[in-house]
Amino acid sequence: MPKPIIEKDRCKGCELCISACPEKVLALSQEINAKGYFFPVIVQPDACTGCRYCLIMCPDTAIQVENKGKTTARSVALTQKPFSYCPGCTHGVIHRLVAEAIEGLGVQDRTVGIAPVGCSVLAYEFFACDMQQASHGRAMAVATGIKRGRPDLTVFTYQGDGDLASIGMAETVHAANRGEKITVIFVNNAIYGMTGGQMAPTTLPGQVASTCPTGRDVKLAGYPIRVVELLKELKTPAYLTRVSVHDPKAILAAKKSIRKAFEYQLKGTCFSLVEVLSTCPTNWGQTPKEACDWLKDNMIPYYPIREFKIPEAEEGDAHVQ
Amino acid sequence: MAKKLMKGCEAIGEAAIQAGCRLFFGYPITPQNEIPEYMSARLPQVGGTFVQAESEVAAINMLYGAAGAGCRAFTSSSSPGISLMMEGISYIAGAELPVVLVNIMRGGPGLGGILPSQSDYFQATKGGGHGDYRLLVLAPSTVQEAADLMIDAFDMADQYRNPVMILGDGLIGQMMEPVEFKRGIKPEDLPHKSWATTGAKGRKPNIINSLHLNPEELERHNWDLYKKYQQMQKEVRHDTYNTGENVDVLIVAYGTVARIARTAIDSLTPKGHKVGLFRPITLYPFPSEALIAAAQKAKKVLVAELSTGQMVEDVRSHIAHLRPVDFYGRAGGMVMGAEELADRVEKLIAG
Amino acid sequence: MYNEIVMAGFGGQGVLLIGKLLAYAGMKSGLEVTWMPSYGPEMRGGTCNCTVVLSDRQIGSPISQHPHGLIVLNLPSLDKFENSVRKDGVIIVNTSLINRMPHRTDITAVPVPSNEVALEAGSNKAANMVALGAFLGATGLLEMTSIREVLEETFAAKPKLISINHACLSKGYEIGLARKPAQAAQ
Repeated sequence: MPKPIIEKDRCKGCELCISACPEKVLALSQEINAKGYFFPVIVQPDACTGCRYCLIMCPDTAIQVENKGKTTARSVALTQKPFSYCPGCTHGVIHRLVAEAIEGLGVQDRTVGIAPVGCSVLAYEFFACDMQQASHGRAMAVATGIKRGRPDLTVFTYQGDGDLASIGMAETVHAANRGEKITVIFVNNAIYGMTGGQMAPTTLPGQVASTCPTGRDVKLAGYPIRVVELLKELKTPAYLTRVSVHDPKAILAAKKSIRKAFEYQLKGTCFSLVEVLSTCPTNWGQTPKEACDWLKDNMIPYYPIREFKIPEAEEGDAHVQ
Repeated sequence: MAKKLMKGCEAIGEAAIQAGCRLFFGYPITPQNEIPEYMSARLPQVGGTFVQAESEVAAINMLYGAAGAGCRAFTSSSSPGISLMMEGISYIAGAELPVVLVNIMRGGPGLGGILPSQSDYFQATKGGGHGDYRLLVLAPSTVQEAADLMIDAFDMADQYRNPVMILGDGLIGQMMEPVEFKRGIKPEDLPHKSWATTGAKGRKPNIINSLHLNPEELERHNWDLYKKYQQMQKEVRHDTYNTGENVDVLIVAYGTVARIARTAIDSLTPKGHKVGLFRPITLYPFPSEALIAAAQKAKKVLVAELSTGQMVEDVRSHIAHLRPVDFYGRAGGMVMGAEELADRVEKLIAG
Repeated sequence: MYNEIVMAGFGGQGVLLIGKLLAYAGMKSGLEVTWMPSYGPEMRGGTCNCTVVLSDRQIGSPISQHPHGLIVLNLPSLDKFENSVRKDGVIIVNTSLINRMPHRTDITAVPVPSNEVALEAGSNKAANMVALGAFLGATGLLEMTSIREVLEETFAAKPKLISINHACLSKGYEIGLARKPAQAAQ
């Protein structure tokens, strides 16, 4: 029989695994773990089909799945350190996908990642590869320096919406336009998380944030920036796509895109960027499940999920070196 | 207006409103987010405008534009953000624009941490950006004083056509204390700025600029600025505690550390130790004459800071020939406790 | 009169709020007050605390190395702050979530099952008010009327919460008063 294996002390009690399970195998425990959270326990062991949705949805890599004598394992491209993110924050899911891509492509020992300023500032503690921490918004400039100096390395940046699309917009546009052979993971959760919920360049019209207490007024702040659409207008960048991590199916699709973005870099194709729509339950003032639903209902209509630019479509074009 | 319990950051924001300021430009950074948040809610209520800039670089240049157009405006940030603003601050000083800057300091260098620090003293008082310029630097040690100095800062900025910086730390910004706003200025009552770019109707055009390609002209500009900084010397302010008579040790501290020193002194007095406090309120200009007078009544001097030693250099430059100057510092967001400081003073007395 | 009080618990337990009420009530009672929150990286899903100083003269340090009073709503906070409390100080222990009493014998420890008491009064959120009431009962630091006044002002926008918070304060106060040491720290 397949069954989930729960590492309870990694759990932050976000309950996303419980809502993701189509067979209602899991429920919340009555006791708290070492961190003070209620964690999931198996209440219907016979119902488990081994679909792994719990594992896929878990933002804290607290669940593995045993099936037919095999057990899934946490990616070796992640350190053992528990993520510092709030309960239910999907940064953890995106970390896992990036790590799995790095591990899957066998480049862990020749990868350098760049951590930004924002919630994922501590990313250097979570990826088990060489990492550099950059000043706010400058991750792609730092990545440029690394890649130009050592073209054999696989270089990625991991940036939030404030870092990439506000303070770092100049670096973003120019790194993309120069066609830096780097992979950019752009996490868009429509808010400044680390500093406590201020308006981001991607905050939706009418969305409340601590510096737009009556909701984003497009007459004063303009409309949210669609980064991928903006970069698409440049001739140079090779792979531009937008994905989401609000449910297991979306996450599986996101995983493919992230892997592709790294593959293009390994092939020597130029600049690749994956925008990942992500949640911020804490600063949106929602439960983790509500936040996933809010993302689906509000963000995806404004930020459509699809590939905007793929290298194959423009093969032979001047920009491909 | 009755006393209100407010966070330092909120009081700074409200003080700007009371000073007739109707413009704020800034970017999120801990531990001063309550300032932009307060302004985003408060400015629309009084017909003002809040802009969340895309970066500190943009914010400081928005401030340049607004001040050049004759508007009272301010920005706030914390250490790494202030570093980003340095180019703009240098241009503002060069173009002689009146702006108010708030730095709620955190530990550095680099991204550092988010907890209280006083490690931007050099940056604030010695220039910070490129070129031969100075800011007027005010260091509050209570929420009330932060509010009062904020209002004064706008007047000083206008008077000298010079950037004025409020230099606080995370503790001043995050702490709540009772505060009262004693002085309210209406924007329409502010003096006219004849040099500002308000439209050249009926006069020849005004230019806001810091470029002087002719070296004779730039040198003249530099010496004019120097003369202005000399005139600013009359703004020196300081405070003392327990310095009425001769003391065994004179503690020199500003901002948060000065408060901690007060508590330390209160614990030392019953033990028979005579310890006084000298607290510079203006860090530039530095209250050197008053410090020399206070130091002459002390056997020893101890400078206490939340850094590895910055203001101590100024203190030594003024009184090292008169008295031994010792230093005690905590850094990186660690804040010294009153008992810890008192222990240090006792050791100094004994040693 | 000079008093330093530290309040600590998990984020979301409302320790910052009871600190604000205490400081606000102190101000209304004519005292000098400071309120200083922890704002470090532990804020996210971890523990949080604040320090209130009440004094009849100008306050120096707003942080406390050795508080006179401590209110702890969870175990990590008791572990962290127990030894810092001054001799003859008062520690309010939320026994609903803390399975031990202080080891110290030179302080007054007041066990308060805050969550249960709040639940009985009809609230699953006002355990902090019970603890604050107990602290005021055990120390007599401020008049209850001043706390009640600021409570009503603070919750003016949510009038439904006022009566339940009053009830929780009162129940806590009774528990604290019964444990009031002979010479409460003043």
